[in-house]
Amino acid sequence: MNVRRIAPRIAGTLAVLGVAAVGARLYTRHTAQVPHGDSAWRITYTLRFHAAKAGARIQVAVPGDPPQARLFRQDVRHAGLESERTHRTRWQTREIGLIAPQAGDYTLTARFDLHLSPRAQWRAPVPGAALSAEARADSLRSTRMIQADDPLVRQTLDHLRRGLPAKGELLQRVFDFCSNEIHPGDDKAPADAAGAIRQKTAAAVGRARAMAALCRAAKLPALLVTGFVAQETETFAPHTWVEVHNGARWEPYDPVNGFARALPHHFVPARRDGAEIVHATDITNLHAAYDLIALPPEPKALRAGHRKPWVILDLTRLPLEMHDVLAVILLMPLGALVTVLFRTVIGMRTYGTFPPTLIALSFIYNDWRAGLLTFAIVLALGLSSRALLDRLKLLLVPRLSVVLTLVVLCIIFAISLLDYLHLTPSAQAVLLPMVILTMMVERFYLTAEEDSPAFATQLLGATILVAACCYLVLRWTTVGHFVLAFPEVHLFTIAALILLGRYAGYRLTELWRFRDLAAPDKKGTP
Amino acid sequence: MTAARRCPWAWPSELRRAGVLGMNWRNANIILPGNPRAHYPRVDDKLLTKRICELYGIPVPQTYAVIGFPGDIRRFDEAVRERRDFVVKPAKGAEGRGIIVVLDHDEMTFTTASGERIELPDIRYHLETILSGLYSLGGQPDRAIVEQRIVRHPAFEKIAVGGTPDIRIILYRCVPVMAMVRLPTRASRGRANLHQGAVAAAIHLRTGRTFGGVCHDRAISVHPDTGAPIAGLEVPRWNDLLTAAMKLADGLELTYTGVDFVLDAQLGPVVLEANARPGLAIQIANRRGLRPRLELVAAQSSGSLTVQRRFELVAALADMD
Repeated sequence: MNVRRIAPRIAGTLAVLGVAAVGARLYTRHTAQVPHGDSAWRITYTLRFHAAKAGARIQVAVPGDPPQARLFRQDVRHAGLESERTHRTRWQTREIGLIAPQAGDYTLTARFDLHLSPRAQWRAPVPGAALSAEARADSLRSTRMIQADDPLVRQTLDHLRRGLPAKGELLQRVFDFCSNEIHPGDDKAPADAAGAIRQKTAAAVGRARAMAALCRAAKLPALLVTGFVAQETETFAPHTWVEVHNGARWEPYDPVNGFARALPHHFVPARRDGAEIVHATDITNLHAAYDLIALPPEPKALRAGHRKPWVILDLTRLPLEMHDVLAVILLMPLGALVTVLFRTVIGMRTYGTFPPTLIALSFIYNDWRAGLLTFAIVLALGLSSRALLDRLKLLLVPRLSVVLTLVVLCIIFAISLLDYLHLTPSAQAVLLPMVILTMMVERFYLTAEEDSPAFATQLLGATILVAACCYLVLRWTTVGHFVLAFPEVHLFTIAALILLGRYAGYRLTELWRFRDLAAPDKKGTP
Repeated sequence: MTAARRCPWAWPSELRRAGVLGMNWRNANIILPGNPRAHYPRVDDKLLTKRICELYGIPVPQTYAVIGFPGDIRRFDEAVRERRDFVVKPAKGAEGRGIIVVLDHDEMTFTTASGERIELPDIRYHLETILSGLYSLGGQPDRAIVEQRIVRHPAFEKIAVGGTPDIRIILYRCVPVMAMVRLPTRASRGRANLHQGAVAAAIHLRTGRTFGGVCHDRAISVHPDTGAPIAGLEVPRWNDLLTAAMKLADGLELTYTGVDFVLDAQLGPVVLEANARPGLAIQIANRRGLRPRLELVAAQSSGSLTVQRRFELVAALADMD
C-alpha cells in the first residue's frame, strides 16, 4: 500500500488505541475497591506569620514517610510567597521552603492527603547503614532543650544504670522511666529535658526530650521525631516521639503513649531531628493551626498499596516527590512536538534539533532570569575565547574540550557569584547543559565565519525562540500531571508526529522565500 | 520585475499554482522514497563520486594525492612540489567548506585564489583539521583530496567575481529537469554557494543559454558586484554536459539528484560533485516551479530511457511553459 495512505491510518489507529486506553483506565479506577484496613486522611496546616524583612524564610516539614504512610496528594497555597523546590534535609525530612519577597503578613495553607495501610510497604525501611561520624555527633549533642550533659541528667542516668549489665536493658529502663515516672503535665509544665526530670512532670514534648537527653548521655544516638497521629481527637496537634539508633537502625519510642521499638501505622512522621513542624527565619507572630479529617475511601488513591503487577501501569502510585520530575519528563515529547512544528510547518532553522528542548528542560529546574543571564555570559565568553583559540590552530577535539572547560568554569563561577549576591534562592539556579552550550559556541563561531555573523545570530535567535516555546510547554505542570495519570495520551502525540512527518505542504518561511514565484515573471523567459 | 505586489508573501495556493516544490514535499515525497540511504555515500564522498565518474568516462579533475592519515601529510609536499596550482578539499565536505585553491607556491608560501598568502605549517594544519572531520558531514573523520585546479573557462569571464562559477543540473529519474549556473560574488567570498550570497542564473535546458537569476532568494537579473546582465550567456558544450550528467545519474542510482559541473578551459565540463538533496532556490532563478516538470517526467518514464529519448524529454521540459 502507498505510504501516503498508510501513515494517516496508523495515526488514526494510534488515536483510537489512545481513546481505548484512557477509557480502560477510567473504568478500572471506577470499579477498584479499597483494601481492608486502609484509610485516607487529610492533614491541613494553616500558618499565619509576619515576615520581618524581605527574604524571610519558612520551611515546612511534609508528613508521610514510608513504609506505612504514603502521601498521594499535596496542595500548597501561598499567596505572594516564592516557593523553592521540595527538598530533603540531612535527616530525610521532606521540606517545602518558601521565601517572602518583602516584609509583611502572609498566610500559607498546605493540604496533605495520606494513605495509611497496616500492611503496605511502600519502600523498604532505611537500610541499616552505619551512622556517619557527623550524624552520630549530631545525635549525641547536648542542646539547650536536650541537656545531655546536665548534672541532673547524668545523675538520673547513673541511678537507672545501677545493677545493669547491658545497654539494651538500659534503653528499656530509660524508656520506662520517661513513660512511667515523668507524669503528663499541662502547657505550663517544663518542655525541656532537665526540667522534666527535675519536676517529674512535663508537657508531652518534654517527656520525649527527657528520653532523648538520657539516651544521649548514655552515648546512645537519639533524635526527636515530630509528626501526627492520625485518629479523630478533640485537639489535633503535632506529636513528638524519639528515635534511638540501636547500632543497626533507628527504632521509635513514644514515652507518652508507651510504644517501644515500633509504632502503630497511624503514627505519621514529618520532621526528624526537631520538635517543630515549621522552621522559620526572620519571621515573627507565627501562628500555626493543624487540622485532620478522615477522607472518604478513594479507590484510585488507595489501590496503590497492592503489589499486583498491573500497578506498574499506574504512575500516580509512585512517591509524590517523584511526580514533578516525572511530569516534566512526560512533557518532553510535547517539547519535541513543538520543535517539529517549528521545523516542518514554520521552517525555522536552529542550532541542532533537540538543543532547544534540552535548554528549555534545564531552565525548568533553574531560575529563568538567572539562567538566561548566565546563558548570555557563557555564550559571550565562550565565543571570545573561541576566537582567541582559533589563533592557536588546535585540532577539533582538544579545541572543543578547551571550550567545554571554559564553559564549565564560567557556570561554576556564575553559581558562586549568584550565591554571593544572594540573587537566587538556590545556587543550582544556573546549572545549564554544558555540553550543549559548548557545541553551540562552536557552531555559532563556524556559522559566523563561514556564512555571516548576521546569519549566526539569526540561528541563535531562532534557537532561543524555540527553546522559549518548549519552556512554556514543559512548565505546564497541570498537563504534566494529567499525562502522569494518563500516559497513554502520548499515543496521540505519536499520531500527531506521524501526521506531521508526512506533512508535505509549504513551510511558512517558504511563503516568504518563494514570493517572487507567486506571480511568475514571464520576462525572465529566455 | 513584476509590479508591486499587494502582499509581502505568497499564499500557498499561489505557490501551488506556480508548481513550486517545497522542502517538505521534496523530502517526504521525492527524496525519502526515491533516494535510498545506502547510495548516499556515492555523493557524500567525493572520492567515490570521482570513481563512478571515471567508470562512466565522465571527466573529473585529476587527483594528485589522497591524504587519509596524519602520517600521510608529508605526501602532500611530494604531490605539489612539481605542480604550480592545485586544490585541497575534504572528501566529505559540505557546502564548499574547507576548500583551499592554491594558484602558486614556493617551498614555504602558498598564494590562494583570493590572493591570501599562507605558510606551509598553516596548510598542514588545515589538512589535519580536514582529517579530524571539521568539515565533514556529521563530523566523522575524513580524507583530504589534493587535485587539479580548474582553470576558469572564458565563457563566464565577465560575471564571475573572485572564483569559478559552477553549473548545477537537477535530474529526476536520470532526466535533467532544471539547470542553473552559480556565480561567485564578493559577498560569497569566491564560493559558488547560494546561501552565502552567490548569484545564480537559470539555464535554458534546450539551448544552454542563461536567463532569469536569483540572489539571496530574490529574483534578480544583473550581477550585484559588476552590474553586468547575467542573462543571454551561452554555456559551451551544453549537450556534452547534459550527457555527462545523465550518465552520472545512472551510476548514482538516485531518483532525485543535483550534479555540479565546472567548465575548464581545456577539459570542458568537469564534474565537481553530486548532491542527494539539492536545494530549491533553482526554482527562483528559473522563475518556475519544479513540480510540473517532475510530474511530466514521472508520467513519461517507466524504466530506463535511452539518451535519445531523454533529450526529447529535456526539450519538452524546456518548452513546457
